[in-house]
Amino acid sequence: MPKKITITNNIRKLRFFANEMTQQELAEKAGVSRQTIIAIEASKYSPSLELAFRIADVFGVAIGEVFGVTEHPGERDQE
Amino acid sequence: MSYQEKRNIVSIITGIAILTAYCIYAFGQVRAGSVAPDDFKFWARTILIFIGIGVGASIVIQIIFHILLSIAISIKKSIQEGNCDEKEIERSIEVEVTEDEMDKLIQLKAMRFAFAIAGIGFIAALVSLLLNYSFGVMINILFISFSVGSIIEGLVQMRFYRKGIGNA
Repeated sequence: MPKKITITNNIRKLRFFANEMTQQELAEKAGVSRQTIIAIEASKYSPSLELAFRIADVFGVAIGEVFGVTEHPGERDQE
Repeated sequence: MSYQEKRNIVSIITGIAILTAYCIYAFGQVRAGSVAPDDFKFWARTILIFIGIGVGASIVIQIIFHILLSIAISIKKSIQEGNCDEKEIERSIEVEVTEDEMDKLIQLKAMRFAFAIAGIGFIAALVSLLLNYSFGVMINILFISFSVGSIIEGLVQMRFYRKGIGNA
């Protein structure tokens, strides 16, 4: 069984460095609702690869700079 | 609270109201003795009417809700930013009501619960026939399980919006 992982993100930090871009502005540019950006930022939703690339594209950085992975040793993914 | 959550609450309330109205009307008729529990035509007619009312009410309420929300966003924007242009307001409304991949995933996951409840209801309805209950009991188990399933679907969606989906 694979190890349990959590997708983390630096969206808040990137928004800050992008002239304090609002969640609404990011949502508009990424083509999703503000609610989705809020959920992604709070790690309550893991976006699709397509949306992850779109968000990275908005900030003009590589996808790895926006999203990261945290492993949970000893825990197994149940899905 | 997001647009989707508010819309969910509205549809849950609509579903509960229609189910309650159905129970009061249909069981009231049976209790009053004006209809026999085995009257096929009565149950078919009543359920069809309430399905129609449900669909109609949902559409009308969602339209009214959308209009009210748009007005609320416009007022909020005007107060926050003073003289705000129409295009800006339209864009804000669009961002708020956009249905994206997260909404679709939540809908799919919540639908599984609705199907499970409807499936249990279907089996219970068949069992009721085997146990010699009347046709009225069978058709009511079916209708009520489908209605409850759709209410539960809304509640599950609310839970996903609150608690998150995927990583959580």
